[in-house]
Amino acid sequence: MKFTILLSLLTAAGAFAQAQAPFRLNLDRLAAKAAEAVDVTLDSSTLQLAGKFMSGQKDEAQVKKLISGLKGIMVRSFEFSSEGQYTPADLEPVRNQLQGPGWARFVNVQSKADRENTEIYSKTENGQITGLAIITTEPKELTIVYIDGPIDLAQLSNLGGHFGIPPVAVPDAQKKGSK
Amino acid sequence: MNLEEELRSALQRQEPSADFARRVLARVNPAPPRRWVRHAAAWAVAAALVITTGIEYYRYRQGEQAKREVLLAVRIAATQWNAVQRKVEKLNGPRDTPQATTEER
Repeated sequence: MKFTILLSLLTAAGAFAQAQAPFRLNLDRLAAKAAEAVDVTLDSSTLQLAGKFMSGQKDEAQVKKLISGLKGIMVRSFEFSSEGQYTPADLEPVRNQLQGPGWARFVNVQSKADRENTEIYSKTENGQITGLAIITTEPKELTIVYIDGPIDLAQLSNLGGHFGIPPVAVPDAQKKGSK
Repeated sequence: MNLEEELRSALQRQEPSADFARRVLARVNPAPPRRWVRHAAAWAVAAALVITTGIEYYRYRQGEQAKREVLLAVRIAATQWNAVQRKVEKLNGPRDTPQATTEER
């Protein structure tokens, strides 16, 4: 009986610790092998500071609004000169963190022709998305995006066509509906 | 000594000390600060200006750097997100946001 209670407490403590632990992207080993690497880690204070330096003009205003409630953004993007520079095992620690409470994978697009795989995970609390992670793997490329905090996916989509971001084709029916 | 002599002694004229006039004038018109004091004050003001400007410039640089990093991160995130949306729309028909697990063959 005591053992069961202890086990339950340990399990609960583990789940709590996992839920509270900050997200980690320790991929320095891959960065050393990459021909090109992008490593961006932004905490809430940096996001707030950046927001103060953004103008009220349309494009920057959109980004300012998007980041206003975020706690952090992490981006790791690697471009390798040859295939096989990373393995699925390199991504296991990342995926494991996305198995915690509230997290769910809601998109997994596999393109066998391009050998490209994209997974999107979201964290939901009280019906609101409070975290987003995107993992895109290609034979010579790997990109991981982690966004911590409440995020409006429609706002993220609306950035298409700005800052060099390819737009998402808007269906005609949706265009008519929005008018 | 009687009272008359005591009063005479107490009220007799006395000459002031030699530097009395200089001391009185010094109190009335304080001496201007020495040259090194003026220089030090000027340097202090200049240093304060330089430090303040430096701090402000550092903050500005930090802000601009943060802004560039945020724009880069958001650009990559939005590009990835929109690419998935396009793929899902292509495979499953138009949707607001990706909803289904799908596999392209």
